[in-house]
Amino acid sequence: MHPFSVLTLGIFVAGYITARWDLVTRLYELAIFAWDYGVVSRAAKGFAALSLVFLLIFIPVERLAARESTLHPRAPGSENDGLMRIFWPADLPRSDLRGVVVGWRNSALDVFVLAILEEVEPRNVDSALKLGTLTRNAPHPVSRIYELCGQSSLHILGLSNTSEDVHIDPSWIRATIGPSQQVPIITCARASNIQIILFERPLPGRMQYISLNPIALALGDKHDTFRILDSAEQDDEREERLKKEKKKKLVEKLKQHSIFKRTPSAKEKALPKIVNQINWAWELEKLMQKNVSRIGTRPKRSLSVSERVVESATTMRDIVLVWLWNLMTVYVLPVIKKLFVMGLMAHRLAAEVLLTVLEWRARPKYAALKDISATAQQVEIRLQQFCYWPMQYVTLRLRKNDWESVTTSHPDYIRFYNSLWLVANDVIIGIALGSYIIDNSSWLADEISHLLTQYTVEALQSSISWLMGWPAGLKLNSELALFLGDLFLWVIEYWSSCIETLRPVLPHMIWFIGFSSFAGASMPIALFSDLTSILTIHIYSFYLASARIYHWQLNILISLFHLFRGKKHNVLRNRIDSCDYDLDQLLVGTILFTLLFFLLPTVVVFYLNFAIARMVIISLKAVFDTMLSFLNHFPLFALMLRIKDPGRLPGGIRFELRDTQDFRHAVNDTTKPIPSTSVIHLKSIPLSFKAMFHQYFQMGHRIRKHYLSPRVLLCLLTGKFVPPLDRRNLYSLQYSMLPARRAGIMEMWNAVNSLPSPKRRTAPLYIPALANGRRYPGNYGGGRSRNYG
Amino acid sequence: MLTTAPHLYLRRPSPTTAEFTVTTCPPLTVPLRICLLTISLLRVAIFTAATTTIYSRFFHDPSLPPSSPTPISITDLLYQGDILILLSHLLQTLHSSPPGQFLANITAPLSNSALALIASVITYFGLFTQLHTTESLLVLRGLGIQTSTSSSSFSSPVPNTSDGSNRWRGWKWWFWGTTPTKTRFIPTEKIRDVLINEAFRGFEVRYYLIVIVEGEEDVVVVFPKLLPGRRIVEEVWRGVRGCLYEGDPNHQSLGGSWGQTGPLGRKDS
Repeated sequence: MHPFSVLTLGIFVAGYITARWDLVTRLYELAIFAWDYGVVSRAAKGFAALSLVFLLIFIPVERLAARESTLHPRAPGSENDGLMRIFWPADLPRSDLRGVVVGWRNSALDVFVLAILEEVEPRNVDSALKLGTLTRNAPHPVSRIYELCGQSSLHILGLSNTSEDVHIDPSWIRATIGPSQQVPIITCARASNIQIILFERPLPGRMQYISLNPIALALGDKHDTFRILDSAEQDDEREERLKKEKKKKLVEKLKQHSIFKRTPSAKEKALPKIVNQINWAWELEKLMQKNVSRIGTRPKRSLSVSERVVESATTMRDIVLVWLWNLMTVYVLPVIKKLFVMGLMAHRLAAEVLLTVLEWRARPKYAALKDISATAQQVEIRLQQFCYWPMQYVTLRLRKNDWESVTTSHPDYIRFYNSLWLVANDVIIGIALGSYIIDNSSWLADEISHLLTQYTVEALQSSISWLMGWPAGLKLNSELALFLGDLFLWVIEYWSSCIETLRPVLPHMIWFIGFSSFAGASMPIALFSDLTSILTIHIYSFYLASARIYHWQLNILISLFHLFRGKKHNVLRNRIDSCDYDLDQLLVGTILFTLLFFLLPTVVVFYLNFAIARMVIISLKAVFDTMLSFLNHFPLFALMLRIKDPGRLPGGIRFELRDTQDFRHAVNDTTKPIPSTSVIHLKSIPLSFKAMFHQYFQMGHRIRKHYLSPRVLLCLLTGKFVPPLDRRNLYSLQYSMLPARRAGIMEMWNAVNSLPSPKRRTAPLYIPALANGRRYPGNYGGGRSRNYG
Repeated sequence: MLTTAPHLYLRRPSPTTAEFTVTTCPPLTVPLRICLLTISLLRVAIFTAATTTIYSRFFHDPSLPPSSPTPISITDLLYQGDILILLSHLLQTLHSSPPGQFLANITAPLSNSALALIASVITYFGLFTQLHTTESLLVLRGLGIQTSTSSSSFSSPVPNTSDGSNRWRGWKWWFWGTTPTKTRFIPTEKIRDVLINEAFRGFEVRYYLIVIVEGEEDVVVVFPKLLPGRRIVEEVWRGVRGCLYEGDPNHQSLGGSWGQTGPLGRKDS
């Protein structure tokens, strides 16, 4: 303390005592009083007793606890069970050189190795990590890495190929690797057993990645919402839902068997984060190896004369190229781009108008045009795709502004190119088909009109006349058969005259269909499907009429049968009651019953005839619809990717336990104790073909359930109308590629204009390469060394 | 002799990692290896016979000269790299050889469709009948558990007890291009519980191991094809509990030694 301040303090104290002298005397008296009554000795006794207790009880207990905890290392949070988990890239370059292992530390004993920086000092690496030198010159913001990998910073995890006597931090690992060694040998002071998980790094430049869940090729199930809004939820769907609920209840019950719920430890929760880290591993390692020369200070080397000559020559060439490029980007490209965007917007406006027409419903429950006609639906799908493409393209372009390891847009990429490719395919097939149709339009028209008269008129006429004359030995009621047959024949006659008037127009229609197929082969198919339903409308009406007659007759027969038994159907309670009929009622009822019963077979054969014809037409349309769905939705791009590069279609991960025998032998020559180690390989499972065609299976299941169920058979037998499958249900497949709500015109305008303009290139500045550290040859990033298993 | 009742192998390189393998393949002894090799050769023979028969019935053109005047050696064709010509040449040679003629004579009374049907059925069964089924459960503490099922028709799926090498895998990959093993990985976070369940099947009670997965409708059955007996299931259950969840010293001592591999299960009654 400064002597002057000591003097000041002394003067202050002396002054205070003089000023408050009475207080000082009081304190003095109090001390005398306490001494007289033995307060001091009592306090000393208490202190002695407490120290004794502390010495005898607390210190031994603490020692015991410490020893026990070192003997059985276990603590809540399960971080101290001595299990160390190390994720190690199997394709990391291996060498004998000394190195520093850098990576993520997810928790104390859970580390993820990213890179080994060779021939550098750990101290320098530490400071470089703190300063962010290793992630300098990153093409995109570095904070994004930390955000997606779930860690706030990179860490030094340990040293590789160091000698035993170098003292390192106890949490660091000591890895021994070499060019011939398959698996690194790892020791760590804190770990009692070790899991080494080797993985192949997916290449982000090739859009490979891994994920825990299979990649979703279809957009999310957003279309389910408006199906539920339908008031008439169909029986089979309801049944399915009930079944599901029942199952859910059972599973809930099963869950009650587990008595207590474990809280997952940090290691267990880290898995999704680790998957991201694996996806980032390649790009981050490249970045760090690029920057490794910045660590520490190294001697510099100047360029030789020949290098200078080469350098100036390349610079000259670059300057000319950049000048040309700038000319292009400044004057030509913007004009082209503006024109293109204008054209796009004009198309979008036209599409909006057409879509409004196609989707217009007189009332919310009525069918829109697209629900009735296959052509309208096809046009609608194409327009929707057209509206969605620019949005998708913008999303994919924005991907370029981010790191390549961000995997969220990869399914979008596959979807976009799949739909583009399908449309291109469709158009190519369509051009071939269309030119064929146009060339042979007259022959086709002849053929079609021939088919029409043969199958929809003459075949029907002959079958009806066959039914009129006691078919297959069945003795039908000839009067009724004659009446019904004449009725239908008369209508067919009328219809055939209609077709006759249509005949001259048919070549033009065929020509039109052929012309439309330049918009894709799906167009003529949809048109043919619609044409089929229009040209067979008479069969549909016959089917309706005969089914109605048959159904009425069946109902009357059933109620008369109840009367015959002395019962009746109580409508109010929906049950059969007994009833006392009068004699005349019974008599008339019985006579009517007999009459109708004998007339039934005649009606049945007519009904069956038309029902079969109707079923044939439905199956024909089903064939058309299947062709359409294949043309519109086939996962062509995904299939190609699956064959070309399965890494781009991840379907989950799997682990493989490797044998540690050879590993053990390698260790045995050194005498140091090695913690028990298991070597596990992590691999990505490519998406299964079944998952790719999942939507098709679902659609097939739905169709089978709708048409091949006992309910349909019952409907057919009782003459009730078999409802056709809702087009919306059938086409949930096709809409799964499109968003539920299409982007508005303004939205699209904004999105298209928000695209960043291409970067203006400046003449390359030559930055002399620091020729220090370990230089990586130019092809370092090109060839991957896959030396492990 | 070729298959046994399902029995259990355990691989536990460290106390926190264990693989339980249930297989119907007996330990690989020399006679068994010879037997398996013979079966593989037999399969190849059946396949060749079926292909030759189909060729000589449907694709062989008798108007062609039976063999070219200068016999082309197969190595020459291989160097030319035209696989189709090589194949047709091979088939022609087979057809004109005595066994090929014999086959053609035997199958002469059969009609075309019957022959095609029989040959394809025989080929299918010859190639794809599975001798052994192997199912395994891999438990990794801190990560989760993984079930896998594989049926192998060509080579033994079980690592040899003496050296435990994985050579057979390479073999199989060569044949299939990719592994036919079906795997399913369940992260620990998603595992609600691992239980032994019982079910009535006919007049017997089967015990089987199930994993209840959080947020899923169905439970996952471990060893779904083999459904080994109660002893094996209990053993696996204890092992899984000990390996997956820490803090059970009884089970930690169980796998202390390295690379422990050996038959532990007994006959499934």
